[in-house]
Amino acid sequence: MTTEPVRLRRTLPRLPDRFAAFGAVLLLLIVLAALFAPWLAPYPPDELRPLEALLPPSAEHWFGTDSVGRDVLTRILYGARTSLVIAVAVLAASATVGVTLGVVAGYAGGLVRDVIMRVTDVFLAFPALLLSLALAVVLQPSVTTVIVAIAVTWWPWYARLSSSVAASVATRSYVDAARCLGVPAPKIVLRHVLPNSLTPVLVQLSLDAGGVILTAAALSYLGLGAQEPAAEWGLMVEQGQDLFTTNWWVVTFPGLAILLTAFAFNVLGEGLRNALDPRRAVIR
Amino acid sequence: MPRYLARRLGQALLVVAGVVTLTFVIMRMVPGDPAVAFAGPKASPEELAAARARFGLDDSLPAQLWSYVRDLATGDWGTSLRTRRPVRDDLFAAFPASLELVGAALILAIAVGIPVGVLAARYKTKFPDFGVRVGSMLAVSVPVFWLALALQTVFASNLGWFPVAGEYDGALDSSSPLTLWTNITIVDALITGNWPILTSTLWHLVLPGLVVAAYPAGVIAQMTRAALIEEAGQDHARLERALGFGETSILTRFALRPALNPVLSLIALVFAYAIVNGFLVEAVFNWPGLGRYAAESIRSLDTPAIAGVTLLVAVVYVLANLVVDLLQGVVDPRVRAR
Amino acid sequence: MRWHKRLLVAGVTGAVALTASACAGGQVRGADKTPRPSASSGSSAPAAAQANEATFVYAPNLDVVTDWDPATSYSNENIAMANIYESLTRYNTETKKPEPRLATEWSSAADGKEWTFKLRQGVKFHSGKELNADAAKAAIERTMKLKGGPAYIWDSVKTIEAPDASTLKFTLKYATPLDLIASSGYAAYIYDADAVEQAKDGEGDAGTGPYTIDAWNKGKETELTLKAFDDYWGGWTPEKYRKVAFRVTPELTTAWQLLQNGEVSFVQRLNPQLFDKAGATSGVQTTQTASFQNLLLLFNTGNGPLKDVNVRKAIQLALDYDGLAAALKGAGVKSSGLVPQGLLGYSAEQAPAQNLEEAARLLSMADYGPDLNELKLTLTYAQGDADQQLMVTILSSALKKLNVTLQAKPLQWNAQWDQGKAKKQDIFVMYWYPDYADAYSWFLNVFRSSEKPEFNLSYLNNPEIDKAIDALPELTATDRDKAEQSYADLQKKILQDEAAAAVPYVQTYQRALSAKVEGYVDNPAYPNVVFFYDLKPAG
Repeated sequence: MTTEPVRLRRTLPRLPDRFAAFGAVLLLLIVLAALFAPWLAPYPPDELRPLEALLPPSAEHWFGTDSVGRDVLTRILYGARTSLVIAVAVLAASATVGVTLGVVAGYAGGLVRDVIMRVTDVFLAFPALLLSLALAVVLQPSVTTVIVAIAVTWWPWYARLSSSVAASVATRSYVDAARCLGVPAPKIVLRHVLPNSLTPVLVQLSLDAGGVILTAAALSYLGLGAQEPAAEWGLMVEQGQDLFTTNWWVVTFPGLAILLTAFAFNVLGEGLRNALDPRRAVIR
Repeated sequence: MPRYLARRLGQALLVVAGVVTLTFVIMRMVPGDPAVAFAGPKASPEELAAARARFGLDDSLPAQLWSYVRDLATGDWGTSLRTRRPVRDDLFAAFPASLELVGAALILAIAVGIPVGVLAARYKTKFPDFGVRVGSMLAVSVPVFWLALALQTVFASNLGWFPVAGEYDGALDSSSPLTLWTNITIVDALITGNWPILTSTLWHLVLPGLVVAAYPAGVIAQMTRAALIEEAGQDHARLERALGFGETSILTRFALRPALNPVLSLIALVFAYAIVNGFLVEAVFNWPGLGRYAAESIRSLDTPAIAGVTLLVAVVYVLANLVVDLLQGVVDPRVRAR
Repeated sequence: MRWHKRLLVAGVTGAVALTASACAGGQVRGADKTPRPSASSGSSAPAAAQANEATFVYAPNLDVVTDWDPATSYSNENIAMANIYESLTRYNTETKKPEPRLATEWSSAADGKEWTFKLRQGVKFHSGKELNADAAKAAIERTMKLKGGPAYIWDSVKTIEAPDASTLKFTLKYATPLDLIASSGYAAYIYDADAVEQAKDGEGDAGTGPYTIDAWNKGKETELTLKAFDDYWGGWTPEKYRKVAFRVTPELTTAWQLLQNGEVSFVQRLNPQLFDKAGATSGVQTTQTASFQNLLLLFNTGNGPLKDVNVRKAIQLALDYDGLAAALKGAGVKSSGLVPQGLLGYSAEQAPAQNLEEAARLLSMADYGPDLNELKLTLTYAQGDADQQLMVTILSSALKKLNVTLQAKPLQWNAQWDQGKAKKQDIFVMYWYPDYADAYSWFLNVFRSSEKPEFNLSYLNNPEIDKAIDALPELTATDRDKAEQSYADLQKKILQDEAAAAVPYVQTYQRALSAKVEGYVDNPAYPNVVFFYDLKPAG
């Protein structure tokens, strides 16, 4: 699919795309919030004040308090850490595994490629949330479980993507030349095939981060992810859902936090894709 | 074409075989003894042994896998630990409701997504385009479970415009009983002319349907927009422009058809995605489908049921992909050659 | 799930007729005899003499029926069973005494070892058979023989005789308050023993109560409907509800909405916030009653880190009991000991308190704690129970400060209980309430040792405690002061010396019901039960 990126690049506007820039700024703010949560947060994250439970938003508590009197804003700031850590860990793990397998498959071709790609197909036949669900039931609920469960369903996309890129790179004449000169296969893969596969993978990573965050939040919402007293947005929605009609702030703000973060990643990812790799599908 | 068909079918079968193996592995990873869970707390050693034999737990792993496959093939999908009914029957009872919800949502998503995508492509970089880009981005970024809770609270609980939960008003079961043919309520109500249940179901469908439709609508709009913009840059569009066609008619009369091809394959992907997303929505709206069944099974550590749901959805996913590929093969000969 | 503490995993038998079997063309969904579950269809009729056509709709948050057999039933279905079946006596929470039901009078002799019950005349079973002493004897003997979960209540009975058609005579192995036992919400029902064997699940019943099964649709939203039994011995007046429906509604918010719309008549539990709102909403009335239902955190004394009594004491001390009571906002009150107020055995001096410093000191003796090793504990609790979730939040926050990580898993009762019986968790959270208004069941069922744990999910095994528990029933019947002392000692041993459990609060039953209903009294001896026969439309 990405065989002729150069010709196609002309058909769509390149960066700077203001919309994408907006996403980047938003994301930067979220990352800063996560990094500086201990300094920004007005209260300690798990200080319980049952007598101040369910206070509506006010000057003291901008986003109100939850059912045990914790400051919702504080927990949202700390929740950004959890979400970003999950996203980074999942993407790093699945990209490493996926790209390695994909590049090997794409470069080697033949039987190796067939075997790897058929295994990939099997994993691709499970919608990510479904397999994560099944796995998360088997494993003890925790943030680590979420990371493992999502990574297991995510790597095949990178394998498929990088194998097609690698396959096309492997047929280029300079690779042929290197092969003729007797350069060993691992070296060719490292020096030529891998670097050329990275651009689409990077684009895909930025597009995927939003999806990972949504999936992680969904797993925590189902009680299969982060555990009390951890601050996690999906968990916060789950804990507050019965209070939505009476104490809207307990549910509304964590939900908005998930929405904004996923939105920022998606907008940035789309901008990057339009600029670097416009022919890739909108979703997988 | 027959060769393409055979190859594609072979691939699908291979994937299904892999899915079965993977499900089996996951089930065997469960800590604890399924025989104890099945036979109950008061089981005697003999009953336990019988349960073990029933599940083949004393056999080697490959033998267990083989009997698992054989049981699946003969229609024995195991017995739910929670409902104590055959998983197959449970799935059969729940799946039509999910199909109904996801089907309605997809129709809605297509009906909204494609025109909106056309609109954005027509007014590229203008305000409508910007609105569609932001809107579709929000639609794909919103956590469904939260959207479901929010819509339910605002439009059902607070404003009372729509029913809070359920598939249709349960009272109608007595005043206007539904005769089942397909098990899909809305279809059965339609073919038997049961208007009270039909209208009640449609009314109950609005909120969960909207929530499930959000993601597919956003994706379809983005895809349509991107494909149209690309088509509009092709040589044929230049020719049409030279012939004096306006931008709108170039988009709708010439560019839309070829642009729909990628959108079609997208819909298959989105379909399976929507079923799983629907899981989260069904729990909120108490929709009697697979998602509610899965959620209850998870909370009961009901592994046979979870495996059943996983397998069923994966197979549906494979089938959906297969159908779309074959359709594309019919529509576009180039696909067959690939 | 809060009252869902004991669900008998019935044998594998429950192979129920399937409501939606494979591709059955032309099937009709729901039984056509299902009445319309609407609370208000007949309410326009002002005249009192006019028949009450309305259906009373009860909204439980879990499936209603798990076991149809009145002998072994030990779970949620009590909300239906108590209206279909009757026992010899019924407990009155105001007088704190059993009252006549199927028995009109009774007396005991020989220091409480002989009991004679006079049976009510003219009582008919739903099967058509007349109630007499032989039938009652057959029912109780069948219940004892089947040895279901709650059958222990009859453990003291040696023989039952029926000297004449209206007299039932019990001879006991040791003295027990049999009139109180006979009022039990479980296993005390008098039924037609022949009919109960023949009745298929949900298709018929063998009771004497005012209502009989109309339709049972397992897994459906309107799971069960009941209809009036015309030959009920109490007779029928026009204003009484003749039709009852149970509409399963798992989500609190949904239940509240349905109540507001008038689609359901009774919601057994809301959260404190919605309950407050309900109190201020016209068309809805609320009741609040102290209950006999308390929350137990059972510590795994058998294996794992909590085998160490010091660690157990530390966890007990870590929980912020007052904070939890405050956060419950009226849905519960801090408890004192195992026995709730209102029962013999309650002592006001056993109220727990948080003490983090002492907890840290105790933990450090086992090399756990802030600067020592991290301790990981697993806990299971009832899925969907907001109060238990609150407790988990508060406990986990306190434990985190002590370098203890709590892995809490919400589960449906069956799964939680299966894990409990396999001793898989460190802390098992459940509600307990007595089967009859007596504290004995907390001790016998929860803390007496047993080879195969049923509800003894702290796996406590202390022969001395066992011995004291075994002496309780007789002591209660013969010497109440001594019994009270024994209860106090036992609680001290179990909660302080053994630290086998923590008891944070006693639930307050908060009911919300339609303002159109009159005559509802919450009887905590029969948790969550509404006696529909006592109700009528208001005005």
